[in-house]
Amino acid sequence: METKTVTADKIVDARGLSCPMPMLKTKKALKGLKDGQVLEVWGTDPGSANDIPDFVKKHGSELLSMQADAGGYTRYIIEKR
Amino acid sequence: MHSFFTNTQDELRAAYALSFDRNWPGWLGGILIAVIALMIFIWNVPWGVAGGYQNWGDWAYYWMGAAEARPEMPWINTLSVSNLGIFFGALASALLSRQFAFRRAPRIEYAKGLVGGCLMGAGAALAAGCNVGGFYTAVGIFSIGGYAMMIGLGVGAFIGLHYLLWEMEHLAHLSGGGKTENKPSKRDWSQIQPVMGVFLLGGGIAAFYFYSAFDLTKIGGLLFFGLLIGVVMHRSRFCFVRAFREPFMTGDADMVRAVAVSLIVFGFGAAVIKWNWIQPPEMGVFHPWIGSLAGGLLFGIGMLLAGGCASSTLWRAAEGHSKLMIAMVAFALSNPATHMLIAATGLKPYLGAKMFMPAILTWHVALPLFVAILLLWVLVAGWNEKTEKLIIF
Repeated sequence: METKTVTADKIVDARGLSCPMPMLKTKKALKGLKDGQVLEVWGTDPGSANDIPDFVKKHGSELLSMQADAGGYTRYIIEKR
Repeated sequence: MHSFFTNTQDELRAAYALSFDRNWPGWLGGILIAVIALMIFIWNVPWGVAGGYQNWGDWAYYWMGAAEARPEMPWINTLSVSNLGIFFGALASALLSRQFAFRRAPRIEYAKGLVGGCLMGAGAALAAGCNVGGFYTAVGIFSIGGYAMMIGLGVGAFIGLHYLLWEMEHLAHLSGGGKTENKPSKRDWSQIQPVMGVFLLGGGIAAFYFYSAFDLTKIGGLLFFGLLIGVVMHRSRFCFVRAFREPFMTGDADMVRAVAVSLIVFGFGAAVIKWNWIQPPEMGVFHPWIGSLAGGLLFGIGMLLAGGCASSTLWRAAEGHSKLMIAMVAFALSNPATHMLIAATGLKPYLGAKMFMPAILTWHVALPLFVAILLLWVLVAGWNEKTEKLIIF
């Protein structure tokens, strides 16, 4: 996936949380955004690596990137559609 | 350049990447679990998980002096041994996938692990089984209590999800992640983990031969089957909680399909085993229907709070989630305590009768009915996936 430099309109910090809390927080945050706005989710649960991309796809939004941060967590960058 | 050696090396690399780089699809996990559960059934008795927690908890009460009788040794008790197998199989799998890490969580998550574990232990005692013994195995071996627990689990998941949503609105400040960030370790463990995983799996297989040498082949076999289940569950992230929660949360029906496919394979196998008297037909049928309904409800709420059921608590704890380790201990302590309470209060006669579906309806009706109920579950979940009618959030 290409890495774009985008500034997130909202950041959800779900580090340390396990399933299903990262998903719930992602879903809630997406609800509060307008189309075209960008959400960034930080997570440490290995399950999220599948759950978040699957959910974003089902939601009709777009996962712009998913990358391991040097701080030991994963950053999911999502554009609401 | 294709010597036998280099070719084998390539094959092994490809097999490793296929098995441990990407997650397995849920339905594959479901089918494999059904096959292993059938092997357990033929090898010994139908598979259960709660009894293993009970054995661990019994030891805690024995040490505290609260119980007189000395429990079976955890390495002899059949259900404890298969649980240990699941735990170590999942740990080996997490290591092989380079996914093991000790994961700290915010305090409120620990509280939920504690309460959730207690509710699950109590629910499993009332239902005479957890999501595995009381629901999965029970439905698959045609015990009607299994369906009662299924309803209880569904309602419990619905209530539990409402709590999680309430918490997110009102207690959001308690579950911020920042402070509990998992620091990356200074040493790079990612290269060592798979080697440790291989040693752990090898050790598990060696343990089978060790059991066998002491004339305990049956117990060694259960350890081996447990290891397999642990690997399969971890790699496919097989999770009963998802099957009951997602229809209300995201609408995703994949885990419902995976559990239903698994149950159909397991149920057909169990029918062959029972109808043909390879094992006695009523073996394992002891689920009281009222207890299963009420226990399922408690268990359903508990598994939502804990974020894991009896089986996925084991594999998630093995992956390093400290919250699930707490849930595991709470489950082990509350399960025997609830059993003692049921015995002390004389509640047992009020929990309802056990019922064996083919004894009431004959096999000819019980089998298609079993398939029809599972298909209906899948169809409703699939319809909800499109229409989102059941989603509460």
